[in-house]
Amino acid sequence: MTILALETSCDDTCAAVVDDDGTIRSNVISSQRVHDRFGGVVPEIASRHHLELVNIVVAQSLEEASITLEQVDLVAVTQGPGLVGALLVGLSTAKALAAARELPLAAIDHLQGHVAANFLVFDRDGGREAFEPPFLCLIASGGHTLLAHVSDHEGFQTLGRTLDDAAGEAFDKGARMLGLGYPGGPALERLAEAGDPDAFEFPTSGSRSRGGRGATRAFGRSLDFSFAGLKTSLLYKLRELTEVERRERASDLAASYQAAIVEHLMLRAEEALDLTKLGRLAVGGGVAANGELRRRLAELGASVHVPPSVLCTDNAAMIGGAARFTAALPYPDYLGLDAYATGERPR
Amino acid sequence: MIVLGFDTATPATVVGLRLADGTMLQSRDDPEGEARPGHATRLLPLASELLAQAGLGWSELERIAVGVGPGTFTGLRIGIATARGLAQSLGVTLVGVSSLRALAHGVKERTTAEAAGADPVIRGDGAAGVDSTLGTDEGAGVLAMIDARRGEAFVAAYDGDVELIAPHALPPSAMGELLERAAARTNLQRWIAVGDGALRYRDALERPGVVVPGARSALHRIQARAICGLGTRPPAHAPAGDAQVVPDYRRRPDAEIALEGAAS
Ligand SMILES: [Zn+2]
Repeated sequence: MTILALETSCDDTCAAVVDDDGTIRSNVISSQRVHDRFGGVVPEIASRHHLELVNIVVAQSLEEASITLEQVDLVAVTQGPGLVGALLVGLSTAKALAAARELPLAAIDHLQGHVAANFLVFDRDGGREAFEPPFLCLIASGGHTLLAHVSDHEGFQTLGRTLDDAAGEAFDKGARMLGLGYPGGPALERLAEAGDPDAFEFPTSGSRSRGGRGATRAFGRSLDFSFAGLKTSLLYKLRELTEVERRERASDLAASYQAAIVEHLMLRAEEALDLTKLGRLAVGGGVAANGELRRRLAELGASVHVPPSVLCTDNAAMIGGAARFTAALPYPDYLGLDAYATGERPR
Repeated sequence: MIVLGFDTATPATVVGLRLADGTMLQSRDDPEGEARPGHATRLLPLASELLAQAGLGWSELERIAVGVGPGTFTGLRIGIATARGLAQSLGVTLVGVSSLRALAHGVKERTTAEAAGADPVIRGDGAAGVDSTLGTDEGAGVLAMIDARRGEAFVAAYDGDVELIAPHALPPSAMGELLERAAARTNLQRWIAVGDGALRYRDALERPGVVVPGARSALHRIQARAICGLGTRPPAHAPAGDAQVVPDYRRRPDAEIALEGAAS
């Protein structure tokens, strides 16, 4: 079975062709480089660009996979969560592509897509690998921060999610405060390289005492994330410093701030590993590319899986990957599908 | 030629199927009051229902025609993304049609029908004067107007098929001036304004003597017949250029305007 997948939930216009054994035949990502000057993704501009790019990206994904639409058996698409106007471009395109050929359509949850990126087969160090459930999955990006218990291919149980900013957002906001522009995550990481991560103390809201061990109800809450306090703390520290100090100690500030974000993520992941006794952790989202996080993950006494970067950031291969394990809607049951902005899929 | 045509520039979802012999099948979804438009959820179901009614399959379509606005941004993108997806999947020609021209086309068709002795169809519900005001000749210019929100309407002026004034967004205070500009380009003496924009700014239009049909007149709604009819004309570009069928936004994103305002 050959799956054509589309993903347009934020600012990347993506299409991919995936086989039902998890082989990626093509994975085209067109990143919109137009939002940087606005200091964040502008929904209307993202939606306009998706429409300009979507058919070209689909055609390219088919071409790179050396197939035509004739050979597609299933169309998969992100239904939500994300920017509704952006999602609707991909969803409308996918529904139309499928309807014209009376193909089935799989409507995929974006976060399930990030989880399913781990099931995809890719070549690494001369071998082919995929990461199979059960495992714990940490997804950290500019749009989401999620800790999930993945016990099978079909879904996941949310153990924790961010109560305010996403981890990637915390990176971007910190970078902006340090005058690094947008998107600031990679710039902040570069600045932090020369800095001392212990120079400044930031709250990591990571006390392991919250919520009793084994108490299932407390367990859910205690694994949530919060980055708002950290951001405020950076703001106050910058106010306390003089102009000259801010410049001279910028790398220390960046290193300490980055360490605090990573520490918060790691504490929650370790806690969840303890509680679930899974011993296996998969990491996805744009923040998975962060060197400090990768260094800390390597120290973890668990089997850690980080897919290649193109599968960590938003892409359509992961949506195709999720479609392998999602019940597809037969034609014409999906013609009236709508996108959803937040939360779980409406039933 | 079998043409599937639709428009999503206004809150309505308008779909039509033109059969090989010119017969039209039409269907539409007009949301009540301020209800959310059903573009995403109704467009393809309505299209598939029309195909079923005609006993046709998708693969028998020979052309897709789509209204490109101006109108609601999200609506336009749903319509055009759907049209492009169908055209890409079927390998058929896609034609973009101005939603304002389609609105104006409705008036032209009705006036022509009247001249041919058909029932007078320009009838304002509760606006008895409209029929006689417009008359049965074709001597009226058309202002097609789609509500652009924020106190403006997207408007274009037509004399039959001739576009006198290209689509643009305009506040009601500028309607008098618009009319003067349009009148300067033709010797038409009388004007009729149609569309949800004309209804919203009726007062500003009636002051300089423009006829606005009654609120329930079908003339205010884009008809699939017009989209399909205009869509059977030769496309402006080759089929390979389907990606060139783009929304006619006529307005830049707010964020761009704000950014430039901050920079200057
Ligand atoms: Zn994502």
